[in-house]
Amino acid sequence: MSITGKIEVQDKDILGALGAFFKRVLETDDINAILVPQHLSMKNMVMPTLVTDPEQLNGVDPLAPAFPMNAAKIVSRLTRKQMGSKIAVVLRPCEIRAFVELVKLKQGQMDEVMLIGMDCLGAFQNKDYLQYVDRHGDKSTERFYQDVLDGKQADIEGATLASACMSCENPVPTNADILIGLFGVEIADYLLVQSQSKRGTNLLNQMHMTEIPEPASRQDAITAIVAQRIACRDEMFVRTRAATDSLEKMTAYLANCVNCYNCRVACPVCYCKECVFVTDVFNHDPSQYLRWANRKGVIKMPTDTLFFHLTRLAHMSTACVGCGQCSNACPNGIPVMELFRTISQSTQRAFEYEAGKSIQQEPPLSVFYEDEFPEVVGINS
Amino acid sequence: MARKIGKALVVGAGIAGIRAALDLAESGYGVILIDKSPHIGGILSQLDYQFPTDHCGMCKMLPLVDRDASSQYCLRKGLFHENIDITLSTELVSIKGEPGQFQVMLKEHPNWVTSDLCTGCGECVDACPIEVPDEFNSGLGTRKAIYLPIPHAIPNPYVIDYTVCTRCGACEEMCPTGAIKIPEKARGDFRILVVDDELIVRDSLKEWLAEEGFAVDMAASGQEAIEQLSQQTYQLMLLDLKMPEMDGVEVLQKTIDEFPDLDVVMMTAYATVETAVEAMKIGALDYLVKPFDPETLIPMVKRLYQERAASEGRQIEVGAVVLCGGTAFFDPASGKNTFGYGIFPNVVTHLEFERLLSGTGPYHGQLVRLGDGQALQKIAWIQCVGSRDLQLEADYCSNICCMAAIKQALVAKQKARGNLDTTIFYMDMRTFGKSFERYRQQAEAKHGVRLKRARIHTVDRHAACGDLILRGVDLAGQSSEERFDMVVLTVGQRPIGGANDLSELAGIELNSLGFAQTEAFSLTRSSRSGIELGGSFTGLKDISDSVVQASAAALNASRILHAAGGSLALKSSSFIPSTDVLREVPRILVIVCTCGVRLPAAVDTQKVIEQLTADPLVDGVDFVEQTCTAAGWEHLEKRVAESKPNRILIGSCLPYVYKRKIKDLGQRIGLNPSLIDVVDLASEYQKHVLEKEPKEFITQNVTSKLEMGIARLKWIEPSAPPDIPVIQRALVIGGGVAGMTAALAIADHGFQVDLVEQNDRLGGNLNWLERTLDGHQPTELLQQTRTSVEKHPQIQVHTQTRVVRSTGEVGHFQTTITDAQNTEQTLDHAVTILATGGREAATSAYGYGTSPVIVTQKELEEKLSNQPLDATQLHSIAMIQCVDSREEPRNYCSRVCCANALKHALHLKEINPDIQIYILYRDMMTYGFDESYYTRARKANVIFIQYQFTEKPQVMANQESVRVTVIDSIINRPIQIEADLLVLATGIIPNLPTQLAETFGASVDEDGFFQEADSKWRPVDSLKEGVFACGLAHSPRNIAESITTAEAAAQRTLRILGHERLSAGKVVANVHHSLCSLCERCIDACPYRARSIDMDQDRVLVNPAMCQGCGSCAAICPNGASVLEGFLEQQMLEMIDAAIG
Repeated sequence: MSITGKIEVQDKDILGALGAFFKRVLETDDINAILVPQHLSMKNMVMPTLVTDPEQLNGVDPLAPAFPMNAAKIVSRLTRKQMGSKIAVVLRPCEIRAFVELVKLKQGQMDEVMLIGMDCLGAFQNKDYLQYVDRHGDKSTERFYQDVLDGKQADIEGATLASACMSCENPVPTNADILIGLFGVEIADYLLVQSQSKRGTNLLNQMHMTEIPEPASRQDAITAIVAQRIACRDEMFVRTRAATDSLEKMTAYLANCVNCYNCRVACPVCYCKECVFVTDVFNHDPSQYLRWANRKGVIKMPTDTLFFHLTRLAHMSTACVGCGQCSNACPNGIPVMELFRTISQSTQRAFEYEAGKSIQQEPPLSVFYEDEFPEVVGINS
Repeated sequence: MARKIGKALVVGAGIAGIRAALDLAESGYGVILIDKSPHIGGILSQLDYQFPTDHCGMCKMLPLVDRDASSQYCLRKGLFHENIDITLSTELVSIKGEPGQFQVMLKEHPNWVTSDLCTGCGECVDACPIEVPDEFNSGLGTRKAIYLPIPHAIPNPYVIDYTVCTRCGACEEMCPTGAIKIPEKARGDFRILVVDDELIVRDSLKEWLAEEGFAVDMAASGQEAIEQLSQQTYQLMLLDLKMPEMDGVEVLQKTIDEFPDLDVVMMTAYATVETAVEAMKIGALDYLVKPFDPETLIPMVKRLYQERAASEGRQIEVGAVVLCGGTAFFDPASGKNTFGYGIFPNVVTHLEFERLLSGTGPYHGQLVRLGDGQALQKIAWIQCVGSRDLQLEADYCSNICCMAAIKQALVAKQKARGNLDTTIFYMDMRTFGKSFERYRQQAEAKHGVRLKRARIHTVDRHAACGDLILRGVDLAGQSSEERFDMVVLTVGQRPIGGANDLSELAGIELNSLGFAQTEAFSLTRSSRSGIELGGSFTGLKDISDSVVQASAAALNASRILHAAGGSLALKSSSFIPSTDVLREVPRILVIVCTCGVRLPAAVDTQKVIEQLTADPLVDGVDFVEQTCTAAGWEHLEKRVAESKPNRILIGSCLPYVYKRKIKDLGQRIGLNPSLIDVVDLASEYQKHVLEKEPKEFITQNVTSKLEMGIARLKWIEPSAPPDIPVIQRALVIGGGVAGMTAALAIADHGFQVDLVEQNDRLGGNLNWLERTLDGHQPTELLQQTRTSVEKHPQIQVHTQTRVVRSTGEVGHFQTTITDAQNTEQTLDHAVTILATGGREAATSAYGYGTSPVIVTQKELEEKLSNQPLDATQLHSIAMIQCVDSREEPRNYCSRVCCANALKHALHLKEINPDIQIYILYRDMMTYGFDESYYTRARKANVIFIQYQFTEKPQVMANQESVRVTVIDSIINRPIQIEADLLVLATGIIPNLPTQLAETFGASVDEDGFFQEADSKWRPVDSLKEGVFACGLAHSPRNIAESITTAEAAAQRTLRILGHERLSAGKVVANVHHSLCSLCERCIDACPYRARSIDMDQDRVLVNPAMCQGCGSCAAICPNGASVLEGFLEQQMLEMIDAAIG
């Protein structure tokens, strides 16, 4: 039984209201720690923090347009084995979806974690955020959410949202225990809080939230945003497909790649302890490079760049949640997210799978059906 | 693998023979597998699609433990097992001796093609001028006198059909490897003495025979003949009957004893044929009637020559024989042939239709009308052609035809992508096996196969359009006709030709119909101890039943072998340890076979050398003319001795030919044979040559192939295959007849067995079964079996005991059991057999429970045996079949109820012939030879009324009698039966709790029966190795069939129990723990459940004996933490690189 309540906002201080709410969460008997993005005291940057002391929640800032990393990786570290305590984690929708994938890959567990998801306003690329925060200082987060909620999301003070966020059709969290809603809500007065699971309901009951009905405007607001995002996304798909529909074009698309593997490090669902591309498998014999060169007369160095991206697509495109951290991490400006989302769209559709949607849905390729893909399997043809 | 001294002969290399041979070989016995045809696979080599998957799957029969003892590829193509010696084109001549020590004489047909030399290039076929119908395509196409018996076999040497070959020698000239030797010259060694007083006869005979290359001498009288015989050895004497002085008979009498190796053929005038026949009684082989011409004489002499060449048989000693003699089929052209078979081109048998469906068939699997080539649109199957036909003296059902026809209709529909009407005309649709009924219903409801219960009497052909017109009578007795493009006659079984001879020489009995006779309660024991029967020799059966029966036959053969001391270990040949070269830098010697001048003509060899030697690891590239010949191989060995490489790559053809040579070479030079590899160059470049590809392209292609081989050798890391210890004890759960049989079978091989039974006594359903349809005594069987079990020193019986839990895997399970006092005990064992049985299903249908006169079949049997029911006082009995059966949720046939109904009906009629008995049925499932009891019951005036599933009988009952109303489909009106007793056939349900099955890692199917790893190819195994099932827990079966599953399950356990350690294959998966992220996807991906996670150590573990090396785990692992031995990532990448280079 879902509960809908509200978090009162005093003096339009939304971040303060969120801080107070998280403090109450941390003070319940159920929760021993909370993972939440905070403004760092030492630098003007927002990063995930693990807090056990309710007094250390003064810099809470989950609405900042900063997305330095996908925190699903952190939650996976915290829950990979029994922790012995319960934590609440405040995540963006794409972080929750990535965590769901990691749980299915046995890289984390749901038992000891309370997922608090927030309506996501999106974020800038890292370098854009740093400029933005330089310009606006303490007020940057407030300016940002006000602008976005006023509908100015494409172009805010000269910066644009990361393209992953602009083409994200999942701005509202699913699979959270507790949702904090902004869309279609008079945030000057209150924030919406809603339980999405039994555990969430239990927690909200303990906190004695004031129950309210969901505002009628909310669904319309969400529908409008999603429609806008999907349009943006589909346009991006068309663009990316056109740019990558042959091996030559694909090679050109990835020509800047220097095998730094930052995209893979940043990817929340790339969960291998050690990537095969840094093992001896790709530590070729020196004579091998010459053999390759001999064959064609010229080869681009470093080698294996296309192979690397194709392999990563093969390994994780079915688990890709589209968070865009890969593009964020690329030092050479390759639109990695666009490529991965475009391919993922096809691979996930092929397996009737949607990454992060449901903990019950088995990941593709873990089961073999004889009558599946007859054109590939060669049976029944 | 470890070899035992026991040896068995398996006659017939069809599916049953292969199963029996593999079972015995896997247990460690030596097996000689013979077949009179030139290929293995029997009928199945012609069938591409098998119910219920409509695919093949034969390879699933290959060994799962100690896999490397056998080849690991398509079993339709070939079978290579260390312990199996296959001899084709070979027949059985005699079996002498006793069980445990038979002397068997085998006769091999001459083979003029040396199979090791034949590369399969096929040039001989183009040269051959002879064309005859092709048996592989059931005569729908033609072949040459030199031909491939089946197109897909490996090795696939050409064979010469010497019965049609003219010895023209054209093929011999064309053969590039000199593999063909037509023994023309050998005829000069075949001396013939022509004895006749007429010069003209002598002269013309000499002329004809000498022209054929035989050595011919002449004698003008009997006396002269005797003299010549004493001076010179002759193989054949052509002896005139009527000669002055000493006549032919006298010559024969005088010579027959002195020259036992001499064949004599009498020459006689028509008037004295009787005397010639008399002469044959004395010892003449045959006679010729004068005047004769070369057309009759020459073939006869040739035949005698061939037989002599062939009869140089060999004698072998074996402990036991498994006879899988196979089956023949009814020829629909014989008799009245009202279906026009052989007259209308589009009337075919179901075997011919299999070839039409096949991609290797005469029309490459295109469904077209024969004659005009139009796409088929409407096909009819006519069932029971030559079966269930009293006029043809075929009072039996052929078992497999109903399912075969449905399968064919489905496959045909699929091929035609739905644009095909299919109709099956049948009498009873006998879907008596596991999952058959659902398959049938799906075929009808989902795929639109039309099943029509009707008898077709005539097939006619429309003169103008060629359509076939089927005329018949439907259920209501109305005549009807319908047009079709093609008619498939589902022809019934017949005993094989030569069944009588086989029975005579093997000393076994046939039944009255000419099929092999089995002993009571056994499907495998023949009338002669030590000779077991497998496959369709005892009556046609489907793959699943054949495989089960073959394993059971192997078990009984193994018993004989074991009792005769055959389980003692054979001394293994000494093994020279190979030099450890793995730490050395690879030095690869490449030897390329030029196949005479073929390779240099197609390829720039200098360029190949240049490109390959660019790799510093390549020690040298050498070209050798014909590595397949002894001279070529010698040259290769010399070259190896010179340069002492630590890895050798041979580029030639047919890698499997070299398997043994490589092993020998490796041992001799101290190199691990896995470091010597052969790549097939010939098959591809020869194709390119035919396609006239440019030389440059072919050169590159050959180089790539060799580079791939080099890349593979570079990374190879041979290691000893892992093995796991075996606790040589078995656990059998369930003490019914199946459980007891299995326990005895295992214990008889010297292994300890724990037999767990939840009741207080052994016996299961045999405790109430009084009689069988075929008149055998279950009570006697029970007593014998129970006594044997209870007295057996190797069997521990635990009654009133249940299984609590079990852990572990094949080789070592730990199972906790608890008895009536709740005392727990833990048993260690290597294998588990689930024989938990089944019982008659309860029902509330048809008013059961409301009146004492409504009983089940089991209750009737009990009432009859305990005699509270006096059959002499009964006037009328009704029986309803298929109660709650063959409909959801119990949508299966219980297989025994129809036979049970007949058993009761015939028994009651015997006691009281005046009883009226009415059997209300849907389809009478009297499969196989049980059909004759159905006929007998009809003759005894038992009334059979077929009811429709949609209009079930209505029952009104009071405490004394019952009234059954049923719509009779012939008169299409309801009829009422007043009966003293109503007997309900409620079918069988299994006693196999899901939880129990899952405790052992097995699973149950949707009806609660044991789920086999594969219903056809691994019918008693669970997917998890080491767990087996038999009896009613497996599927509904009668007593003999249950016993057979038990024997089969026992045989499957012996493969494991017989070894102290279980060897895994060389190719098994492994885990690099340092790379493993513990995502466990490999555990889900493993189809053999060989992987598990060790929570204490945080590691993924692999059981090497269960791992089959399929590589699913390596494929799903993203970073190579899961690896397949022998398939390193670097190695694969380098090979791919070479391949695309």
